Amino acid sequence: MKFEKKRAGVKQQIPTASLPDIIFMLLLFFMVTTTMREVDVFVKFKLPEAKAIEKIENKRLVNYIWIGEDGRIQVNDAIVKVSDIQDIMYKKRQALPNLIVSLRIDKGQSMGIVTDIQQELRKAYCLRINYSAMMKE
Amino acid sequence: MALIRKKKKPEPEIPSSSMADISFLLLIFFLVSTVIDVDTGIGLTLPEYVPPDQIQTAPISKDRMAALLINEQGDVLLDGNVIAIPQISKNLKARIESKIELDKNKKLIVSIKTDRKTSYNLYIQALDQVRMAFNEVREEYSKRKFGKRFIDLDQDQAQEVKEKIPVIISIAEPELIKK
Repeated sequence: MKFEKKRAGVKQQIPTASLPDIIFMLLLFFMVTTTMREVDVFVKFKLPEAKAIEKIENKRLVNYIWIGEDGRIQVNDAIVKVSDIQDIMYKKRQALPNLIVSLRIDKGQSMGIVTDIQQELRKAYCLRINYSAMMKE
Repeated sequence: MALIRKKKKPEPEIPSSSMADISFLLLIFFLVSTVIDVDTGIGLTLPEYVPPDQIQTAPISKDRMAALLINEQGDVLLDGNVIAIPQISKNLKARIESKIELDKNKKLIVSIKTDRKTSYNLYIQALDQVRMAFNEVREEYSKRKFGKRFIDLDQDQAQEVKEKIPVIISIAEPELIKK
C-alpha cells in the first residue's frame, strides 16, 4: 500500500508583492525620526538620571560640551583644555547670541571640573546651560 | 478563413522582486548612520561673571534663602540640618508654598553649593529634587486656580503661575580657597 502525504491543492506562497512597501514605510520612519550624526564623540560618558527634566525645544541653538569618565573635555569634534573653552564658546556666542550649552557630563565626574567649566562659560557669557540627563524610570 | 489574430504580446513588466532588497539596503544605511538623540536635561541660567574683587554682596534675609550644601561624602545640609536627598523636595515645597502670595522680591531662593569633590551625579539628583519641588508647587497652584494642569494652561495663565512661583536657583560662587 502506498502512502502519500496529503497536500492542499492550492499553491503555498506568501505574497511578497507588498514587502517593498512595508520596508519603505520603515525606511521613511527612520528617515523622519533620526538626525544625522554630526560629530564623533571621542569620550565615553554615562549620563545621570533625573525626573524633573525638560526637552530642549530648539535643537539648532544647542551646543554640546562632553566630559568623559576619564575627565577629557570635548567641544565640537576636538578634545580641548578647560582654558580653551572661553575662547571657543565666546566665538560661538557671537555667531549665535542665544545659544544653549548642553553639558553632557559623565555621572561619575566630580563637581570640580563642572564648576571650572561653568566659570569659563560665565566668562564667555554663555549663560543658558542644560545639564543633560536621562529620564528616570 | 483563417483566423488572423494578433499575437498577444506579453505584458511589459519591470521586475520588482529586487525592490525589497534595495530598500532593505537603504534601511540598513539609515539605521547605521543615524542616532536617536535624546536632548533632555535640566535647564539652568548661570549668573553673569563678575571678577572676584568686584563682587558685591547684597544682604538677603534668612527666611528667603534655602541653602543647600552637598559635601564630598554625599551628605546634604539644608539650612544646617542634615537630610537625605529624596527629602529635599518635600522640605522645600512647604517653603515655596508659603511664599506664593508674597512680593516678587521675597520669593524663595534656593542656593546650591557643592564641594569640588562632590560627585556630579549627586549634584544632579539634588538639583532634580529642587526642580521637582518648584514644578509640583506650580502644578498644584494651577490646578487650584485654573483647574488645569500646568502644561495645559494658555500663555497668560502660565505667565501668571510663573510669576507667582518663579524658579530661582542660585549656584553659589565657587570658593577660591578650596582650589
